[in-house]
Amino acid sequence: MAALKPLESPELPFVNEVRLRPQHWAVAAGVVLLVVTLTPWVWKKLERFAIGPDYRIPYALSKDYWLYEQRLQRASPTNIVLLGDSVVWGEYVLADGTWSHFLNQETGVPNRFVNAGVNGLFPLALEGLVRCYGGSLRHQKVILHCNLLWLTSPKADLSTDKEESFNHAALVPQFSPRIPCYRADASERLNALVERNVPFLEWVSHLQNAYFGQQSIPKWTLAEAGGDPPRYPNAYRNPFSQITLTVPAEPADDPQRGPLSPRHKPWSTNATGTTQFEWVALDQSLQWHAFQRVLEVLRQRDNDVLVVLGPFNEHLMARENLPAYRKIHEEIVAWLAQNQIPHWIPEPLPSVLYADASHPLTEGYQLLAKRLFDDRVFQNWISPK
Amino acid sequence: MLFHTWPFLVFLLVVLPGFYALRKTRLWLPWLTAASYFFYGWWNPYYLLLVVYSTLLDFGLVALMDHCPGTGQTTDGLARPIRFRFGDRVLKVAFVVSAAATLGCLAMALFGLPTLRPTMGVLSLILLLMALGALFRSRKIWLLISLVNNLALLLFFKYARFVVENLNAVFTSLHSSFKLSDPSTLMPFGFEYLLPVGISFFTFQSLSYTIDFYLGNVQRERNFIRFATFVCFFPQLMAGPIERAKHLLPQFHQFPPVRLQNFTDGASLFLVGLFKKLALANYLSFYVERVYDNPKAFDAPALVLATFAFAWQIFFDFSGYTDMARGVAKLMGFNLILNFNNPYLATGLGDFWSRWHIGLSSWFRDYVYIPLGGNRGGIFKTYRNLFLTFFISGIWHGANWTFVIWGTLHAAGILITRELERSAVYRERVPRLVKQLAVFSFVCFAWIFFRANSLGDALLIVQRIFTAAWQDPQIPALMLLLVALIWLYQFAYESRLRPLLQTGVVRVGAMVFMVLYLCLCASGGGAFIYFQF
Repeated sequence: MAALKPLESPELPFVNEVRLRPQHWAVAAGVVLLVVTLTPWVWKKLERFAIGPDYRIPYALSKDYWLYEQRLQRASPTNIVLLGDSVVWGEYVLADGTWSHFLNQETGVPNRFVNAGVNGLFPLALEGLVRCYGGSLRHQKVILHCNLLWLTSPKADLSTDKEESFNHAALVPQFSPRIPCYRADASERLNALVERNVPFLEWVSHLQNAYFGQQSIPKWTLAEAGGDPPRYPNAYRNPFSQITLTVPAEPADDPQRGPLSPRHKPWSTNATGTTQFEWVALDQSLQWHAFQRVLEVLRQRDNDVLVVLGPFNEHLMARENLPAYRKIHEEIVAWLAQNQIPHWIPEPLPSVLYADASHPLTEGYQLLAKRLFDDRVFQNWISPK
Repeated sequence: MLFHTWPFLVFLLVVLPGFYALRKTRLWLPWLTAASYFFYGWWNPYYLLLVVYSTLLDFGLVALMDHCPGTGQTTDGLARPIRFRFGDRVLKVAFVVSAAATLGCLAMALFGLPTLRPTMGVLSLILLLMALGALFRSRKIWLLISLVNNLALLLFFKYARFVVENLNAVFTSLHSSFKLSDPSTLMPFGFEYLLPVGISFFTFQSLSYTIDFYLGNVQRERNFIRFATFVCFFPQLMAGPIERAKHLLPQFHQFPPVRLQNFTDGASLFLVGLFKKLALANYLSFYVERVYDNPKAFDAPALVLATFAFAWQIFFDFSGYTDMARGVAKLMGFNLILNFNNPYLATGLGDFWSRWHIGLSSWFRDYVYIPLGGNRGGIFKTYRNLFLTFFISGIWHGANWTFVIWGTLHAAGILITRELERSAVYRERVPRLVKQLAVFSFVCFAWIFFRANSLGDALLIVQRIFTAAWQDPQIPALMLLLVALIWLYQFAYESRLRPLLQTGVVRVGAMVFMVLYLCLCASGGGAFIYFQF
């Protein structure tokens, strides 16, 4: 029998010799580190992007958080930043129909109000956005929009047990607090955490968003353009020629938005009638707790925050549903008052100025901006202290 | 847990420091075993029972085999069992315990919980064989039990559904109303009927130990933890390389020497593997899937190029896994065998199989081909043995006729190239490059059957390659460029240019390129192809 003696050092055969000695590793690590550190920094200097009339991020780049951060960094410290979801961003309106646009009109100072809303956002994702990409907002005045839409059902609150897919999953808390309907595996969650915290990976994600249609370069080379037989227009293109160092701006003509788009119409024309909501109690709401944490982060960063609660489309609600809504509304107001957070509660807009439960139409934003601007609380808050 | 995912990195960041911290204690080995079980249990904790069961049984069987006379020694035939004399207390105990357990299991198989009956039936059979083994003091019976047990596990989890479906199809064609029930109905406690990841690898590894012990090639391992670590060593548990006890077990006898080279070599291997998997295999898979999932929609060039892409995809996927496995093992100071050696530069099919999945090829050579008679007994028997070995190798890969045909094609190919290599003209006149391209083309052709979703699809692809029109395949140029670069690198490595590739500048440049490319262009996750085997 062959003796089972311990082997001192059995041979480790290598093929193709990509085998680095310690000094090789030191050089390779140095080069990689240099590239990884310098590239995002150099990129910021080289790349051009248009901030548009009020910093509104193009719809197609909603998930380009690196660009979001760059845009915020461009804003002046005296600017007032509007933070929130698609209500702030302006889901149904063009760049000249947003809330921030009309606020700028009211003040007569262009770009004073920065549209830092992101389409598809919700408080749990907003928390991640503010924590990881909102560092440059420090010490600034911030209008934080509180959309009660996220409390209208356990599904909207993301507190159901059934798996749900939602936008901006990379921004939500990955491990704690637990989001029961978020079923990403550990790898995806860790990946999201790493991407948020490694600037080079954020930059890679930016490249993919800005130049490769929100996909990796390999996937871009395989992108299908439809047709029968299907066409693959990028197959023979040089991917690196896509990188033009100029971030595409929002197209001037967006058929999905603005007064001329078929979507831009009052909610009541959809003939869906009123809706019963399953309001989630505040103490059990994941979104509300996330909103509270966002406020806490902003306070810690010495931001001067004004919370705008609503205006939610009460016309769309079934009458018997109103007491539950008002109770939640009052509880939020009480909490804001108790914590001495400046807040403004707008009157509901006329029914025809809502496109759905929470998004105003262009005229709705105009009215909202006017009402806010005329409000004493706002005037006190906005005036230099 | 996949090597190229963040949870594995976290796992490694816990296991590795723990392993080194325990180097001066006896706990480093149990730590490794626990880590390996955790690694496997991450996928499905219930199926961990299978690994433990297989390990326990083979460990016990070899221990009992050790108490039986060697193959050269004579026994007193039937006289001793009839007189009920064991001559060895261990065997006596084994007999009593296994006989009693046989009765217990039999009783449960007949009267126990319905969901447990099939399992108990099989267990009682194995226990009965064990009782007989103890009674007859027969090493052969112990070996037989190990073979039956390991192969039965493989057959049940991997092939039972395939066999049942095919038999039911036969019954239907014979207008018989008889139908075999689905194997999932035999699962105890209603567990889900899944193919346990890596079952073909850990059963083969465990089996090699019992066979080697039976043949006198290795000594009995007396430390169960050490043996358990050998069977379930996490870097190679899921998809090999299939190790032999003679090579790996001795490495667990003492803490491996701690050297800086462990880390530099380990990291080199791991990163090369990561690049193969994430940058190349996953990228190629997109094009392959597009074409192979709908072959009717594509013309000859696309089908040819998708097959070419698959050839490289499976190479990068599997050799990438192996590189990472070897790298992780090396980080702990252990050396796993080389499993791939530039197989697409082979000049013959025999050469190909000595470069491709070397762990499995040598396993089949040692435990199937040679026991069948190898090349002893004339040309007909040699070819029969080769044919059978490749046929079984095909089936090993999966329960599908496509794998059977793939194995058969390789068997036929190896016979042809062996014959060709006998001729001096072929050996001396045909340029090496022509041979390499011919072998590569044949291997690609066989991959069609390996990759196709069904036999019908495979035949359709072959037919369309030769008859369909030639339209633009629209394969990404970047993909072709990457594969061409790697292939050229391999050619250069096996040529006079090799010293150039061994210079520090090229090595560092290659590594920096791979790391940056991974950061910039990695193609997302995706499990390893060989996990399904």
